[in-house]
Amino acid sequence: MTRALVVYCHPLEDSLVAVARDRVIAGLRAGGAEVRHTDLYALGFDPGFTASDHANHLVAGADPSLADHVADLQWCNMLVLVYPTWWSGQPAMLKGWIDRIWVNGVAWELPEGANRLRPLLRSLRRIVVVTTHGSSKLVNAVEGESGKRTVTRSLRTMCHPLTRTNWIALYGVDTLPAERRAAFLDRVERRLARLA
Amino acid sequence: MLAAVVLAHPSPDAYCAALADRAATGLRAAGHDVELLDLYASNFVVAMSPSERAAYHGDEPMLDPQVRRHADIVRSADALVFVYPTWWSGLPAMLKGWLDRVMVPSVAFRFDDAGKVRPGLGQVRHIIGISTYGSPRPYVRLVNDNGRRILTRALRLSCGVRARPRWLALYSIDTSTVSDRVEFAARVERELAALR
Repeated sequence: MTRALVVYCHPLEDSLVAVARDRVIAGLRAGGAEVRHTDLYALGFDPGFTASDHANHLVAGADPSLADHVADLQWCNMLVLVYPTWWSGQPAMLKGWIDRIWVNGVAWELPEGANRLRPLLRSLRRIVVVTTHGSSKLVNAVEGESGKRTVTRSLRTMCHPLTRTNWIALYGVDTLPAERRAAFLDRVERRLARLA
Repeated sequence: MLAAVVLAHPSPDAYCAALADRAATGLRAAGHDVELLDLYASNFVVAMSPSERAAYHGDEPMLDPQVRRHADIVRSADALVFVYPTWWSGLPAMLKGWLDRVMVPSVAFRFDDAGKVRPGLGQVRHIIGISTYGSPRPYVRLVNDNGRRILTRALRLSCGVRARPRWLALYSIDTSTVSDRVEFAARVERELAALR
């Protein structure tokens, strides 16, 4: 049974990314997955890693006020991140969710005497990203694809060794005709139904 | 020369705060003017708000007076210096939010008539990153050093063709010795004092 956590990050409900989120959830449900949905802006998530987060970062566990986010991350076996790419990376709101939820005791641990982190999200077997880019694929390649590598390398390292990643992206979104956007949204729903 | 030093660390007594001080000391010793932007200390709002996103493509994309003040400094800066801890191979959400909210159209770039992005920071000659890493250097390279790429590639495309990126990094900070850290701080001051 696929247990999918959809983490959605966009400030506006009338955005293309919001529609993509709806199609993601529709696809997942059509494919038979159980779905939980986190809307970071709607929840008023505080993305700033705080001085107390920092002081406690060698103590296992996230800030107690973030327990629901931790429970959802530990529950899922598929994580779907839906966001616009800004400055070739995740928006600050989503980066803050990573900084504050993927902490010691949740995403990794550092056992006594060890010199490298041990991954803790071993039941998370697939990470899917659905994102839009203002710039072209070529410009993104020149810029080094930071957002993509953060997911496919940094985050994946804290999961199971066989965890897969899928990148579903629309490039040059500001100048695309409406039918290309519609085709992208159809592709999102189809892909997620198949992955569910 | 005017240098904007952007610091993103939640604790005022952190090593990164000391590095920012040393950077400023070096720059002043070389006769440069320094504007220190301590994002946590000045309670900078991390995430772009819905109203800012709605205004992004309009005539006035900046709604927050603090953002406007930072944009004025950036527009007249010859050097942009970033001091931060690397988390999840990237920028802390606080610094990513600073890029998302301050580096907006009319500041970092503009759209030409064809909707293409044109650089807006032609006067910036130096982009300098000063960062601490928990991981050793080979691992950082393996995961793509995403924060560095955002600043030295994505942001650099918005600066002048003469802009030189320079990177000062302390790797494996958790296992570094006091003398490693003292030496690195001295190197930061020395290299910034040599900036022309």
